[in-house]
Amino acid sequence: MIALIGLLIGVALGLLLQPDVPIWLQPYLPIAIVAALDAMFGGLRARLEGVFDEKVFVVSFVGNTVIAALIVLLGDQLGVGSQLSTGVVVVLGIRIFANVAGIRRKLFGA
Amino acid sequence: MTAPQDPGGPGEPAGGGAGRGGPRAAGRRPGTRTPLLAGLLAGELPDPGYAAAAARRARRTGGPARRPGRLRGGGVLLVLVLTGTLIAVAGAEVRRGEPVAAQRRSRLIEEINARTAETDALRRRLDRLRAETGRRRAAALARSDAGRDARERLARAAAAAAAAPAGGEALVVTLDDAPRAGTDSPGPRDGAAAGARVYDRDLQILVNGLWAAGAEAIAVNGMRLTATTAIRSAGEAILVDYRPLTRPYEVTALGDPGRLRDAFAGSAADRRLRALKERHRIAYGTRRSPDARLPAAGPPRPRYAVPREGGGR
Repeated sequence: MIALIGLLIGVALGLLLQPDVPIWLQPYLPIAIVAALDAMFGGLRARLEGVFDEKVFVVSFVGNTVIAALIVLLGDQLGVGSQLSTGVVVVLGIRIFANVAGIRRKLFGA
Repeated sequence: MTAPQDPGGPGEPAGGGAGRGGPRAAGRRPGTRTPLLAGLLAGELPDPGYAAAAARRARRTGGPARRPGRLRGGGVLLVLVLTGTLIAVAGAEVRRGEPVAAQRRSRLIEEINARTAETDALRRRLDRLRAETGRRRAAALARSDAGRDARERLARAAAAAAAAPAGGEALVVTLDDAPRAGTDSPGPRDGAAAGARVYDRDLQILVNGLWAAGAEAIAVNGMRLTATTAIRSAGEAILVDYRPLTRPYEVTALGDPGRLRDAFAGSAADRRLRALKERHRIAYGTRRSPDARLPAAGPPRPRYAVPREGGGR
């Protein structure tokens, strides 16, 4: 519950403050969000399975977003930006899917 | 540091995480890994980070590995706030970008309209200047006998080349595709679900027949024909002078309507079109028009003429 409130506070903050994202950072926002979603679902699944660990959660969030953004940035420098971006999104999507499936099994299955 | 999930498979699930469960693994040879897609859709690929941390915790405290984790730690809260902010900011960026794109599009449309209007104005100016040139030429040529002769020859040549508008009584012949209703006209003319269509050679035959019957000037759907105008088809459309026409096709032939009709009536062109009408139900009709105005054809582009050297006289 507190976690949900925290999430909502974040959304409200973002909408209210309307921070100006620098131009060079804008293309990496969507990737960062997908990576953050992956960390969220991973954390949620771990919570449901009883193995949640705060340190792992925070580190996974930071690691995912930074690494995803870095991979796409590297790809942009090398000229394969869109392909690498697609690859990152696919892999993160698969992980999100896996975590959601685990959550589903926990909630509705066994 | 949590490593990104190894897509090859989970390896050893350590600790109390959800292991390979279910009947899916039962019949498998030991040592093979769960296939990626099969595994993920059954929820069998947990993040090893959490499992390893739980195992470490169990070793350290010596107690049960399972422990309801705290979802209210400071770090967790911070991460969640950050995520919410990220999502809100990205969503706002997308919304903010939309009006800019729409604005750009509408500006392009405005520019298109402005340029088209400019072109139209230029074309009108061209027509005006051309008319004025014609007037001055006529006035200059009228001043001497030789000039008047030249003017007559010029007028005849212009009429033959359709370089000047013409008007008068006319015979209007209409051709149209067969109505779509029935499929009872067999033959290669049939389209898939439509009736028979008018082909370009039908129009060609009609126009040639009208010339042969003595028409002075001919226009199709308002487009004047010269001696070299092409009537062709491209796909399903008929093009006159490389401009597409829409049906019905009205061919206006200037001349005495009665004489034209009599001369045209028994000709090969008329017979052929009648046959088309009977067999394929192509619409074919004629009527008189007491006053038809035909515009001039586009000016011919001279291919061999070169401008005179020196000032004109």
